[in-house]
Amino acid sequence: MAAAGALTNINTDSMSGRLLLALRNGLLAALAMALLAFLFHSLLRPMIGSALVEETLTITLSRLFLVLLPIAAYLAAGTAVRNMEERHKALILALVAVTAVYALVVGAQALLGAGPFAPRPSLQFSARQTDEGILVEALEAGGAAELAGLQPGDIITAIRRDQVTLTELNQRVGLAEEDDPFRLRYIRNGEQDQLTVRAVLQTGVDNSAIVTGLVIALVIASLSIYWPGRTLPYILLAVSLLPMVVGYLWLIIATFSYRTRGILPLDGAGNIGGLTIENWGFLLGEDIAGLEFSIWQVTLNSFLLAVLMTAVVLLVSSMAGYALSRMSFAGRKFFLSFTLILHGFPAVTLLIPIFFILLNLGNLPLIGQLIGFNTLGGIALVMVAFDLPLGIWLMKGFFDHIPWDMERSALIDGASRWRVYREIVLPQIRPGLLALGIFAFIGGWNAFLIPQTYSIGAGTVNLPVFLNELIDETAPVDWNQVAAVGLFQLIPIFIFFVFAQEYLLNIYAGGTKGSS
Amino acid sequence: MEVELTNLSKKFGDVVGVEALDLDIRDGEFVAFLGPSGCGKTTTLLMLAGIYRPTTGTIRFGDRIVNQLQPRDRNIGMVFQSYALYPHMTVFGNIAYPLKLKKVPRQEQQRRVEAAAETMGIAHLLDRRPGQLSGGQQQRVALGRALVKEPDILLFDEPLSNLDARLRLTMRGEIRSLQKRLGITAIYVTHDQVEALTMADRIAVMNLGRLQAFATPDDLYERPPTKFIAGFVGNPPMNFLEIEFAQENGAMQLRSESLELGLPPEFAAAAAAADGAVTFGIRPEDISLDDYGPVSGEVFVVEPLGRDDLLDIIVGTEHFLLLADPKRKSRAGDRVRLSFDMTRAHFFDPRSELALSWK
Repeated sequence: MAAAGALTNINTDSMSGRLLLALRNGLLAALAMALLAFLFHSLLRPMIGSALVEETLTITLSRLFLVLLPIAAYLAAGTAVRNMEERHKALILALVAVTAVYALVVGAQALLGAGPFAPRPSLQFSARQTDEGILVEALEAGGAAELAGLQPGDIITAIRRDQVTLTELNQRVGLAEEDDPFRLRYIRNGEQDQLTVRAVLQTGVDNSAIVTGLVIALVIASLSIYWPGRTLPYILLAVSLLPMVVGYLWLIIATFSYRTRGILPLDGAGNIGGLTIENWGFLLGEDIAGLEFSIWQVTLNSFLLAVLMTAVVLLVSSMAGYALSRMSFAGRKFFLSFTLILHGFPAVTLLIPIFFILLNLGNLPLIGQLIGFNTLGGIALVMVAFDLPLGIWLMKGFFDHIPWDMERSALIDGASRWRVYREIVLPQIRPGLLALGIFAFIGGWNAFLIPQTYSIGAGTVNLPVFLNELIDETAPVDWNQVAAVGLFQLIPIFIFFVFAQEYLLNIYAGGTKGSS
Repeated sequence: MEVELTNLSKKFGDVVGVEALDLDIRDGEFVAFLGPSGCGKTTTLLMLAGIYRPTTGTIRFGDRIVNQLQPRDRNIGMVFQSYALYPHMTVFGNIAYPLKLKKVPRQEQQRRVEAAAETMGIAHLLDRRPGQLSGGQQQRVALGRALVKEPDILLFDEPLSNLDARLRLTMRGEIRSLQKRLGITAIYVTHDQVEALTMADRIAVMNLGRLQAFATPDDLYERPPTKFIAGFVGNPPMNFLEIEFAQENGAMQLRSESLELGLPPEFAAAAAAADGAVTFGIRPEDISLDDYGPVSGEVFVVEPLGRDDLLDIIVGTEHFLLLADPKRKSRAGDRVRLSFDMTRAHFFDPRSELALSWK
């Protein structure tokens, strides 16, 4: 207890106090990681293991903790002295502390026979890489290789049929268990032959691993002192965004490439290059993958659907939102909570009932031609219905922010309720209308599930459905062309975002401006 | 135009906003509705404007019952606490809006808006938007908009609350003189008694949805009909004290745990007939520091107000507020003697809180 007390009350003014602090933090971090590894490996695994046959998560985690253990310890030690006035003193302290922690870790490993002190699988011969293959230079007397009949001067080319280099061979040996067989293919005196060497566990100290570990420790310590502060959030952000950025990069590059590997454009011979605009040929009405759609008809459908949706969603949401915000009528509360529930309803569950509704709507005289099954109007109707709950709630929120006095004032000034709504209230929520309109437009433009379900034939297919058709074909898919169509679909969205960013952000801020 | 409210009530569900209000307002009169927050004064105003429909009772403008009339048909102008300007219109657009709705010809609109702006001193701001104006300027725009349609009645809903103290003072005078000049009946809602006392011809004091009194400012101050009004009107507020009367050596005396005071002869007869406890009230300006006064106390808090010091004085267990000359340099802890001007004492029934008119 006294020792623990001394460790918590470290005087951080002196150099030695600082050093002690760094050491303590490093050790605590190491201890914590070791405990976590122990917890997963020795406590949780047996428990879960009894229930599940294949359970690798706990093993993976416990190994991960062990791998991260020294790194966490170095970082903890380094950051403990990071905020010192004089950087070079901090660096010296960090280096000393980290070396000490490293010594302790290595010592612990030596005691436990782990890490560089653990028995390693080996084939017990030395070799070097040559052009022809792996040249065996020397064999350990009585070792596994010698027992198997390998001789100096043999050139190993493959394990079974897999060509190997020395590095690959060493890797595979390193991962082997005791007695694992390696069937080596080799050339001796120009003759090709093969033999099997069984791996043995060889004790010994891996000195290079110890030195490498120390160098890594010192580098981490230096980094923990000299790394500029407050960059971590940006690094995390950049790393987590990387997959998306790479994805879009590929999309753009692929549309202009003959083919790609990774995000590199390749020509027919597999060299970098081969840029082409052929993929964009569909814009000129070229036949695409045997589908009988004109891209412009499809684009027009998408556009009509988006415009129709925007118009109806804006009109209905704003009026319903106003009524819910400003008027009291029977069932208002129920309606509010009901729309919220509707908003949470997944569209997929309703696909089949809606199909029947659309079929029946199609039988109506006159308007049946506009809103039935396989009409743009019908698709728009369904999409609007799914969009309205959100729209109504958004609009209600915007109306709620308009002061009552403004409406009262307009009423007293002589306006009718309808006129107040149109001339006074609507202009106040213009940012909200714009934002909702943009969302509705993008929603309509990108709509896939509902158009896919309720449309057949060129008359109603929109871009996302068309894109899907390109992939659905049994013929080989021309991914570069799919990418081009995808990018084509993205263009209006991109333009929208450039111009409307401000309003889209406003919808989440939820406020109205200039209410005086 | 005369305004007559008869048995006017407004309920919001179970909550009573205004109850059984009777009020006669004369043509060209400036009436203030005074009361604390939630007393129903704004509710009454909105019923006059036609925003709220009364639950019971009638509202008469002149000889016309307007209960069923829409706001736009009542020919009223209203100024709100928040000014309620239309942020997307220019100042010109704001002032012209009532005229536009009345379908006044464009040139006529132009002329009248400019005239109203001239009156309010905002002619140079006509192209601006409300967001670009200061609070005082917005207030003038709101007033101009209310006046431009030449209303029969002007309604004010705490119009000066959002202005700074200095501007409030000037606007008070301006609104008052404008109203007198135009001779429009005005109803002015406020919780600030100074505004009510300085501007209004008559003040309707309201509390908890009920009319407490409807009288001139002088009457309210000199002869408050209830304890609520006595405490609400006047700043600093009146001192109240629970007392009993006693007869000593043939003279009536007023007694509490902490003090005894002689009673002037005009109260004596009534006091002798009084039964049990009575609430005694006296305004701070009617108590003075007097080295030969009958009551001794100790200064508890000194609040310098500039022209006066407001002293909180402990007498026994009672606190009294009074105003003293700053030259005395009173300090907390000073021992002082007080004299009370008992001719200006007020007495209230402690149960009904009604004034006992003994004089």
